[in-house]
Amino acid sequence: MTLTMLLIVGAALIGTGLYGALSQQSFVMLMMGLELMLNGIMLYAVAFWALAGHGIPEGQLLTIIVMAVMAIEMAMGFALVVAVFRTSQADTTEALQDLKH
Amino acid sequence: MILNELLLPIFVVLITLILGAGVVDYLHHATSALGKQMSLRRSLNPLAPLYRLGLALSQQSVITEHPDRLNLRLAPALYFALAALGLAVVPWSADFIPADLVTGMVLWGAVEVLATVVIFLCGWSANAHLPLLGAYRYVSLGLSYMLVSMFVLIGVALPAESLQLSAVVESQREIWNVLRQPMGLPLFLIVGLGLTFWGPLDFASSPDLDRGISADQSGASRLVWQLARYAMLVAFSFMAATVFLGGWLGPWLPGPLWLVLKATLVLLILLWMGHNLPVMTPDKFISVAWVLLLPLSFVDLIWAGALALW
Amino acid sequence: MVGIWTDITFYLCAAIAVFSGWRVFRTDSMVRASFLLLISFLAVGVIMLLLAAVYLGTALFFMMAVEMMVMALFMVMFMMNPAGLNPMNMVHQPWVAALLGFAVFTGLSLVAVYGEFPANPAPADLDPVRSLGRELLGDSMLVFESAGIALLATMIGTVVLSSHRGRYGPANEGSEPPGLDPGGPPAKSAAQKQQQREEQKEQEEDKQDHDQ
Repeated sequence: MTLTMLLIVGAALIGTGLYGALSQQSFVMLMMGLELMLNGIMLYAVAFWALAGHGIPEGQLLTIIVMAVMAIEMAMGFALVVAVFRTSQADTTEALQDLKH
Repeated sequence: MILNELLLPIFVVLITLILGAGVVDYLHHATSALGKQMSLRRSLNPLAPLYRLGLALSQQSVITEHPDRLNLRLAPALYFALAALGLAVVPWSADFIPADLVTGMVLWGAVEVLATVVIFLCGWSANAHLPLLGAYRYVSLGLSYMLVSMFVLIGVALPAESLQLSAVVESQREIWNVLRQPMGLPLFLIVGLGLTFWGPLDFASSPDLDRGISADQSGASRLVWQLARYAMLVAFSFMAATVFLGGWLGPWLPGPLWLVLKATLVLLILLWMGHNLPVMTPDKFISVAWVLLLPLSFVDLIWAGALALW
Repeated sequence: MVGIWTDITFYLCAAIAVFSGWRVFRTDSMVRASFLLLISFLAVGVIMLLLAAVYLGTALFFMMAVEMMVMALFMVMFMMNPAGLNPMNMVHQPWVAALLGFAVFTGLSLVAVYGEFPANPAPADLDPVRSLGRELLGDSMLVFESAGIALLATMIGTVVLSSHRGRYGPANEGSEPPGLDPGGPPAKSAAQKQQQREEQKEQEEDKQDHDQ
């Protein structure tokens, strides 16, 4: 378990998450892509904290903040999905053509 | 070394859960027979759980149409595994702790939450109406008691100044948490009924849903599901005895025996509550949980914090 | 001895995390997708435990189990095919996305392999939970409390956004489903179609009565 291996695993998670966020039509699946990217970022933060940062507490703090960001992203995402569904009964990104103009 | 540090804890945890499940089965049927004045001799027979085990094993296994087979088979086993994980962090004496995790309390919280996932999975994977409804009901129940459980547990961690369960036991050397934080144990017991969807909180497999999650279970998978549910009740009793009744602390008798005695007491209280608390409709319980129990758990936490500062 | 088991657990968890993360976007069922994502998070949580981040690992189990449960619920609420019994594929620009994802993975991996990072591991006698607690309520209290305020603001915003009452009346007033083709007429729900059919039938019956 070296830093390089950990970073490669994190990179794979971020890459997969980016693929998901860009390719999925459904809002909720799109959010799953974002969550997977944040998963990779948390792994990065903990890996650097444990193996390169001499265990300074700010490394753990950063991970806590990423968790908070995740919770905010989820809650706001779902609120927006509900709001969009109320106004235009849509659950895919394609249905929001109005936002183009 | 491997024998003492690896095999013995696993053995103790599994034996406790399986024997405990037998005890729960016996006590549950015996006490319900006492209440209903059914044939006492048959239900007080100490071998009755074994008869029921044999009956379940000899039953035919019927499966629903197009289920998610993997999850249908896996969910009962996972529920049992969660019970084992929860019991593993409970200390049996000063030097025998199967898994002395620094964040044992958080792990127990994770067990409670993951149980929600597993129960939902069990109801969903059957691909039938009633189990799915039961699963939904369980999730709404779970989300409403989860916060109560967390606040109560944080209150217990405060006097110990640690999330480690052995430290929590040590902090109760002078006075048990059940006296120090009088509201903690009652709230936590309600959480326990919810976690195992027992008695009045059995919304997930209640009779009005034709036994909901269990409606389409049969044969061995039904047996494992019941076993896991009993095992979760046992694990919960050990956890409640550890965080509120001083765990293995006690005079004269050896530590593990005290722990078992206290856990049995909690188990009896839970079974009594299961038979005697009034049954509510699910929506009514959700309002009670958010409007009454959650503020009470805030009060409990503030009380614990004030005591810790004072 | 211990080192070997740590390595084996790490590679196993890494493989599970990446594989289930990929399967999230390859499965038909939304419920399965959210629980696969949960498995990916749990595997990363175990890796964090291996790295001695005890609190973060267990907290990740806890947080993600709740999040994914809620996610599965929302999935079933909004999806046309919640149980995933019928195969379906709801993707756009899959090749561009895959290419970009792969490019990001390659770039970050190159950084990981050729970058120079200080080998400065955490000291063995560090108590990670205590040091995190002291940081959260000590030097970085402002950061921590700001996160708390942000979460509070999120709660308020969420309630406002998802309320039944919109700013100018009911939130779903005049709402129409999107067209089946881009820019096409709104698709009708099953209930609306049924209503239309019944109206048509009544009209025909009226006509017949009239003829007689």
